[in-house]
Amino acid sequence: MKRTFGAAIAAGPMGLGARVGVVLYLLFLVLIPLAAIVERGFAGGVGGIWHAVVSPMAAHALVLTLWTAALMAVVNAVMGTATAWILVRHPFPGSRFLATLVDLPFAIPTLVAGIMLVTLFGPQTALGGWLTVHGVPIVFATPGIILALLFITMPLVVRAVEPVLIELDPAEEEAAATLGAKPWTTFFRVVLPPILPAVASGTIQCFARAVAEFGSVVVVSGNIPGKTLTAPVYIFGEVEGDRPVVAAAVSVVLLLVAVGLLLATRVLQQQFVRRERA
Amino acid sequence: MHRVSRAKRWGRGTTVLLVAVIVYLAALLLLPLGAMVAQVVRTGFGSLFRELLAPDAVRALELSIILAVIAAIVNGIFGIAAGIVFVRHRFLGRRVLDALSDMPLSVSPVMVGLAFLLIFGRGGWFEPVLQILHFKVTFAFPGLVIATLFVTLPFTLREVSYVLLELGEEEEEAAAILGASPWQIFWRVTLPNIKNALAYGVTLTVARALGEFGAVLILGGAISGKTQTGTTFINVAMEERREAAAYGMALVLAVASVLLLLVLEALKKVEIKEAD
Amino acid sequence: MALIDGAYVAHAQGGKGGQRTLTLGAYTTPREAYGSGVIPAFQKFWKENHAQEVRFEESYLGSGAQSRAIVGGFEADVAALSLEPDITRIAEAGLIKRPWKTGPYRGMVSRSIVVIGVRPGNPKGIKDWDDLCRPGIQVLTPNVRTSGGAMWNVAAVFGAALRGGTSAAKGDTAAAVALLGKVLAHVTVMDKGARESMLTFERGIGDAIITYENEVMEAKLAGRAYDYVIPRSTILIENPIAVVDVYAEKHGGLDVADAFVQFVTTPEAQREFAAHGYRPVDEKVAAEFTQKFPAVPDLFTTRDLGDWGQIVKLIFNEGGIYDRALNSSQGKK
Repeated sequence: MKRTFGAAIAAGPMGLGARVGVVLYLLFLVLIPLAAIVERGFAGGVGGIWHAVVSPMAAHALVLTLWTAALMAVVNAVMGTATAWILVRHPFPGSRFLATLVDLPFAIPTLVAGIMLVTLFGPQTALGGWLTVHGVPIVFATPGIILALLFITMPLVVRAVEPVLIELDPAEEEAAATLGAKPWTTFFRVVLPPILPAVASGTIQCFARAVAEFGSVVVVSGNIPGKTLTAPVYIFGEVEGDRPVVAAAVSVVLLLVAVGLLLATRVLQQQFVRRERA
Repeated sequence: MHRVSRAKRWGRGTTVLLVAVIVYLAALLLLPLGAMVAQVVRTGFGSLFRELLAPDAVRALELSIILAVIAAIVNGIFGIAAGIVFVRHRFLGRRVLDALSDMPLSVSPVMVGLAFLLIFGRGGWFEPVLQILHFKVTFAFPGLVIATLFVTLPFTLREVSYVLLELGEEEEEAAAILGASPWQIFWRVTLPNIKNALAYGVTLTVARALGEFGAVLILGGAISGKTQTGTTFINVAMEERREAAAYGMALVLAVASVLLLLVLEALKKVEIKEAD
Repeated sequence: MALIDGAYVAHAQGGKGGQRTLTLGAYTTPREAYGSGVIPAFQKFWKENHAQEVRFEESYLGSGAQSRAIVGGFEADVAALSLEPDITRIAEAGLIKRPWKTGPYRGMVSRSIVVIGVRPGNPKGIKDWDDLCRPGIQVLTPNVRTSGGAMWNVAAVFGAALRGGTSAAKGDTAAAVALLGKVLAHVTVMDKGARESMLTFERGIGDAIITYENEVMEAKLAGRAYDYVIPRSTILIENPIAVVDVYAEKHGGLDVADAFVQFVTTPEAQREFAAHGYRPVDEKVAAEFTQKFPAVPDLFTTRDLGDWGQIVKLIFNEGGIYDRALNSSQGKK
């Protein structure tokens, strides 16, 4: 049955022509540009990439990018799940407004987000000045980077978990509650397992997004080499300083991370689909 | 579909969690927004409007809008076509292409700029072709279009794919059995079903296009009057200490984003209503 | 739609119609001098003499970055950069075909000096280059890869040390390199351009910023609070300007480009520059502003250090003096 239908579809307006169009579009817009980065990055061979990556500024930038993204992903995993949980299971007056607000970082330009954070926490402001004096500078320091990343990626886990929670029948939770289970036990034993793939998927997306972030970080971090210079901003500097090979070499590393995360998401999706079918 | 458990258990733990979530969201989302609004008020709406009416600000905004519209149309069409091709067709390499179309979400904007600079700039793979065609990509409008298309590629596709996957082929199969031609199936069955998803995806596309900064900065060069978009305008204005102009444009983009957000929410509600 | 027309058609039109377009690629600091001063003056001048409107497209980037962008495909008709090597790079790429260092000012359009900007009232009591090496002093200077200002700063510090204007013994190259290294060890942020560096300073980072005199004056014009110190020995900054022949011809705007480069050294334009803190190249106009631009006890030029070719080779090439100083600075803090 599917074969026939597929053949029918393939014959029509959304058929071969569409397929060719789609393939060509992806080829020229995505595959070839990424290939260009890989090609230029390997211009000095694997040794060239190694050389570029272990230079002190680049190495520090990569490490900084990865650990801030990881930390932020963990925070988001927890808070995003908590937020989705509250919004779905325990709505309260005003929760609709909050639910809308959660999507805000998706809509706002990252540069504007960065500016907003500087406006709030900059050393010239009351709040920022107080924090700086007390040894917790936010802007032009690492906490600023984490804050910016939290802001930008906040919706991702919530949006991944929310639909799954909605689908989940509360009957099981109520049954557990009736049997005397405490709320936390209920959560960990009954709710978490089915939503875990969604949480994981959302967290991975968070991490990938954070590693790539530029617009907000370049405004907030101060871009201090060896301190608050992240990998994307480092790459930007190398592009502007007309060192495309170095820029491409470090980009290859980020590309590998992105591809790895993509594969991880795909594997998770398979798992998720398998669970659904079970 | 049950959204709320029938017996609301507001234990202490839940209340703590509730407060924690609210404080978290308020601090992370509302405070920065509020700070910017406060700054805008402090700078004064009068000077803001004056700066926004200046020709370079108007041109920058125009450019951003044009890019967003182009992205919405081109990637909207791509989203529909690729959605159908990836979900309904079966062919070798389908999954790879599907994965490829997710890449733009994880690729840093600066890498996008670098990639197209490598291809279309001096010594690039396509440079000879461009020379012959007398066509300029880098530091020109076409470069901005390409960068914007790259970063907004997945949005419509993902929404449409999801809906097509969820709906299954039954309706389309039924129509085929009843003798409808592929074109009729697409127009009468598929398209109405993905209408909402399409609208949602297009809205996300526009939001992302308006917000694009890194790729457009590298590929376009932020040349005033030529490749200066809304976001790069803000960047330049900050560098020229023209705070009123910078905050004015930031406010415009933020307001546009909030409006798009409301559209998204409205579409979500329609989706829920139709599902029930 | 006018925007897209403008991008494609105006360039092709060249001499026809009432509108001309000129694309300017400049470094970061003169954006106000050009944007609100020289360019409107030129537009008026051209309109009066040719009854045509000239539309300007401007790009302001770190001098090195801008120079490489022009070589890499940014089709600027006129390049107004911070230092001569950045124009030489464009010429060597074959984009400037005619000799550009002709004329009474040898291709230069403006001058300045390297100064040390400090907080109002100079709370840390910075008086000269050596004070930048005091413990705890945080210094700002941009990245030499992208910023012309950064290169001037390095040349100033190194040159002053070599000439005996610092604690380093006169003529002692090793001591001069050591001093440069010590200063670099105190640098907290290296922005990509002189303007970005100033903005970082204004956001509260750093105790002192090595920068152009004109940048400090421009900041004060914008209402920012600055004081600045003129070191006893510092370098005379000379900024070049040139028509990028290949692109100007391609756009059919060679006449406008030539006229613009001519115009910037006329007394009217020079006064605009002075108003924005630049020392005029025109000696007569400069004489009108002696109050504004104090004399420097030991003002040296690039010619005192060889010439730019030598300076680049010695100081800024890979493994040169700057790299050595930077490496030695990584050790200390």
